[in-house]
Amino acid sequence: MNHRHSFWLYFTVILVYAFLYIPIFVLITYSFNSSRINVRFEGIVNLEPCGPFYWFCQLSRNREVINAVRNSLIIATLSTMGSTVIGTMAALALQRHDFPLKRFAEGSLYIPIIIPELVMGIGILVLFTTVFRGINTAFHLQGNARLGMGLGTVIVSHIAFSVPFVALVVRARLHGFDRAIEEAARDLGATEWITFWRVTLPNITPSVLAGALLAFTLSLDDFIITFFTTGPGATTLPIYIYGLLRRTITPEINALSTVWIGIVFVLLLVIQRVQQRD
Amino acid sequence: MSTIPSVPGGARRRGFLLMLPSLLWMVGLLIIPLGLVLVMSFGRRDPDGNVIYTFTLDNYLRLLGFSRSYPCGSTPPPCFDALYLSILWRSLVLGFQTTVLTVLIGYPLAYFIARAPASRRNSYLLLVLIPLWTNFVIRLYAWMIILRSQGVLNSVLGWLAGLLNLPFQPLELLYTPGAVLLGMVYEFLPFMILPIYTSLEKINPSLYEAAADLGANPWRTLWRVTLPLSMPGIVAGTILVFVPVMGTFIVSDILGGRQVILIGNLIQRQFLDARDPAFGSAASILLMVLTLAMTLYYTRRFGFGEEITSA
Amino acid sequence: MPRFSIPLVALIGLLVLLGGCAGNREAQPSGEEPRTASGFVCPAPQPRLEVTSRELNLFVWTEYIPNEMLECFQRVYNVRINRDEYSANEEMYAKLLAGGANYDLVMPSDYFVPLMIRQGLLQKLDKSRLAVIPYFNPAYLNLPFDPNNEYTIPYQAGTDAIMVNTERIKEPITAFADLWRPEFARRMVSVDDSRTLIGIALLTLGYDINTRDPAQLEEAKAKLAQLIPNIKVFDSDSPKTALIGGDVDLGIIWTGEAALAKQENPAFEYIYPVEGPILWQDNWAIPANAPHLDAAYAWLNYILQPDLFWLTLRDFPYNNPHQAALEWARVNQPELYDSYMNSPITNIPPEVLARGHRVEDVGEATPLYDRIWTEVKGQ
Repeated sequence: MNHRHSFWLYFTVILVYAFLYIPIFVLITYSFNSSRINVRFEGIVNLEPCGPFYWFCQLSRNREVINAVRNSLIIATLSTMGSTVIGTMAALALQRHDFPLKRFAEGSLYIPIIIPELVMGIGILVLFTTVFRGINTAFHLQGNARLGMGLGTVIVSHIAFSVPFVALVVRARLHGFDRAIEEAARDLGATEWITFWRVTLPNITPSVLAGALLAFTLSLDDFIITFFTTGPGATTLPIYIYGLLRRTITPEINALSTVWIGIVFVLLLVIQRVQQRD
Repeated sequence: MSTIPSVPGGARRRGFLLMLPSLLWMVGLLIIPLGLVLVMSFGRRDPDGNVIYTFTLDNYLRLLGFSRSYPCGSTPPPCFDALYLSILWRSLVLGFQTTVLTVLIGYPLAYFIARAPASRRNSYLLLVLIPLWTNFVIRLYAWMIILRSQGVLNSVLGWLAGLLNLPFQPLELLYTPGAVLLGMVYEFLPFMILPIYTSLEKINPSLYEAAADLGANPWRTLWRVTLPLSMPGIVAGTILVFVPVMGTFIVSDILGGRQVILIGNLIQRQFLDARDPAFGSAASILLMVLTLAMTLYYTRRFGFGEEITSA
Repeated sequence: MPRFSIPLVALIGLLVLLGGCAGNREAQPSGEEPRTASGFVCPAPQPRLEVTSRELNLFVWTEYIPNEMLECFQRVYNVRINRDEYSANEEMYAKLLAGGANYDLVMPSDYFVPLMIRQGLLQKLDKSRLAVIPYFNPAYLNLPFDPNNEYTIPYQAGTDAIMVNTERIKEPITAFADLWRPEFARRMVSVDDSRTLIGIALLTLGYDINTRDPAQLEEAKAKLAQLIPNIKVFDSDSPKTALIGGDVDLGIIWTGEAALAKQENPAFEYIYPVEGPILWQDNWAIPANAPHLDAAYAWLNYILQPDLFWLTLRDFPYNNPHQAALEWARVNQPELYDSYMNSPITNIPPEVLARGHRVEDVGEATPLYDRIWTEVKGQ
C-alpha cells in the first residue's frame, strides 16, 4: 500500500536522520586526522607503519583498550546469560502462576526501569562497600584475600538491571501466547516438562532472544552502574573512554569508535539477515 | 491421561521457585541497597567524611531549603537557602525540555517508519538503532569535536561566511547549557522514537483511509486520530527519556564543562568530592521519590502501555 | 538451532580473538634486553626485588606516568598493571574511605596526607625496602605534612599559577587579582579544585590560604563568585587542551600542563603572580590494605631509579624533587636537562618559591569550604 507523504515529512525525516548521523560521520572522519591533538581536521594522516590507518595500528597496540573491550564483552556475555535465564523464568512465573509474594515480586521487577540508574548505582555501591568491609573485618582478611570490587561485582549488578527488561519482553510475548497448542501437546501424552521444552520454548524463543539482545546492549553500553561498581582490572570500554576523554585526546579514540561502529553494523546486518530467513 | 493441569499447590510452588532467582536479585541488589541509602540519608557527616548513623531530617530539610546546621551565605542557621531547590528545578526543566524536544523531533520519524512499506521498516529502524549501539560516551565526544570553537560547525560556518564575505566570530557552543540540552536530546532520541513507533505501528491503516473518506485533511487526522492512538507510546517514551535525564551526570560533565550542575552531578559529587554521603543519599532518595511519583501519575492518567518493551 | 548460531559463533570468535590478543603479553625471548613497543630499552632494576604477585593496582592522577615506565615494569617483573585514575584528591579519598576497591599505590597531594593518616588509610613505609630515598633533594623531604617521610615519598612537585596566551592577550598580567577583569568574561579555563580557587580568592583579599575563619571565608566566597563568570570551563584533567584548542585565552593551571602547553605554542606564558603561587607536592603512598605489597615496593624502587625517572622530565615536566635523575639527565640527556633548567616553569626561581603558599588540611572547616564550592559552582 503506497501513498505519498507531504514534502515536509520527507524533509523532516531526512533532517532527523542527518542529525543522528552527523556525529558518527565526524567520528569516522577524524580517525584519519593527521593532527595528534585532534581539535581541527588537518588532512589525512600518513605515518609509518600503517599510513592512513596509523591510528588504527596504534589502537591495536594499546593493551588497555583491548583489555577494556575484552572486559566489556565478558561482562556483557555473562550478565546476559544470567539475566536471560532469570528473566525468562520470572516472566513464566508472573504470567502463568499465582504464588505468595507475587505482587511484591512484580513490583520490585518494575522498579529498576523507573528509577534513575544513578540511585541504583549508589545503592549498590553502598551495599558492596558495607558488606565487604564487614566480611573483611570479621574474617581478618589481608592483602590479596580481601574482597573488593571487580568483574564479579559488575556482572552481578548488570544482571540486576537487565532482568526486568528481559522479563518484560518475554512476558509481552507470553501474554499473546495461545495455550491451546500446549493443551494439545498434553492431550497427545506429553509431560509438562516435554511440553515446555518442545512446544512452549521454541515459540517464545524470538522474544527470549530479543530480551537477550536487549540485555547485551544495556550491559555493553552501561556507564553509570558500572562507574560505581568497578574495581582495578575491571575497566569496561565506556569507563575507559570516559577516562580517556579526561586526558589528551588523540584520534585513537576515533579509530576505536570507527572499529566499534563497523562491528556493530556488521553484527546488526547479520542478525537481520538471520531473522529474515525465518 | 488427564488433561487437568497439575495440583494447584504444585503450580504455586513451581511459580514461586521460578520467581525465586529474580526475587533474590531484586531484593539483594535493589531493595536492600535502597534501604541502606535510606538509612544513610538520615545520618550526618563527621569532619573527615564518614557517616554518623543517627536519625535526623537535616539533610532533607537542607535540600528543600531549610538549613539547620549550615549557614546560608552570611546568615547563620537556621535560615532559608534555595540553592538545592534551584538545582532540582534546573534538572526538572532540562528533563522537561529534553522530553518535549525528543517528542517533536522523534514523532515525525516514527510516523514515517510506521507507515513505510513493511519490507523497508526494519531497515529504517536499524538506521535508528545503529547510533544507539555505538556507545554513549563516544557519541558525546563526537559532539565535542563538532561544537568546540575550532570545531566542525564553526569551521563550516566560517567557510560560509568567507564565501559570502561576512565577518565571522566563532560561536561559543561548547560548555554551555545549550550544549548539554543538545547532548541529552541526541542521546535519548532513539528511546522516544522506538516506543512511539511501536504504538503507531499498531494502528490499522484503514483508519487513515476512513478518516480521509470522511473528509478530514492530514492535519485533522493527525490531531484527532493518530495522536490519541499513539499516546501510550508517547507515555512510554517520556518515561524512558525523562527518568534517565534526571539522573545523568556525564552529559553535563563533558559538554557542560563541569559548570552546569544538575541533580545528578550534585549526587555524584557528594559521594566523590564533597564527602557527604549522608546528604548525597538524601538527594538520591528525593530524586527517586520524584521520578516515581511522576511516573505513577503519568501512567495512571495515560495507561502503562506495552510500548515500553520495544525499547 | 541454526537461527542464532551465526551471531553466537561470531561473538565467541571475537572473544577468543581478543583473549588471544591480550594473552600474548610481552613474552620476551630470554637473554635479550627488554624493550617497550616504542623501542625504549628498559634499564635493569637495581636492586632487583623478589616479587610473587602477578598484578599491581595503581590508583593515580590522570596523565602523570610516562608510558615507558609502565611498560618496562610490566616486562621486567612480569606483573600486570591495573591502572585506575582520578583527577581530584577528594575522589581518591572518597574511594579509599568507602573501602570497596583494593589498591596497592596511590598518589595523594600534600594536604591530603595528614587526613588520610588520621583515617588509617595509609600504611607506614618500610624504609628498609626502599633504596631510593637518598636520590631525593632534601628540600622535598621531611615536610610538615609527613615528618620523617613515614608514609610517603615524593613524586612530583609544582605550582598553580596563571597561563596566558600572549597572542590573544596583550595587556600584562602580574597578579591573581588581574584575573577578575571583566574583559576576561568566559575566556578562562581553571582547575576544578576547590582549595585552589578558594585559596586564590583568599590570597587576593590578603588572607591566609588555610584560614578557618568563617567571616574571611564568606568574603572569599563573594569574591570567588565574581570570578566564576570569567571561567568558561573547569578541567582538572587536561586544561591545556582548552588553551591549545583556542577555546580559552588564559587559565589557572599547574606546572606540568603549563610546560606542555608552552611546548605546543611558545606564545603561552606561565606567570607567577605577585601574591605568590600555590605550591603542591604529589607523593607515593601505600594504602593500608594493599593486596600486592611486594609488587608495590618493586614498583617504587624501579621507577625511582635515575635512569628511568628522567622520563618524567621528558613527558611531564614538573618541579622535579629527584636530584639523582636530574644529575643523570645532565650527563646523558643534556638537551632535556638544559630545557628543564632554563625554564622558570620547571626550574622554579628561589624567590618565587619563597613567596609560595602550601595548601594544608583545614580539619573541621572542610564542610565550610565544600559548601562554598557547591554554592559558587551551582549558580
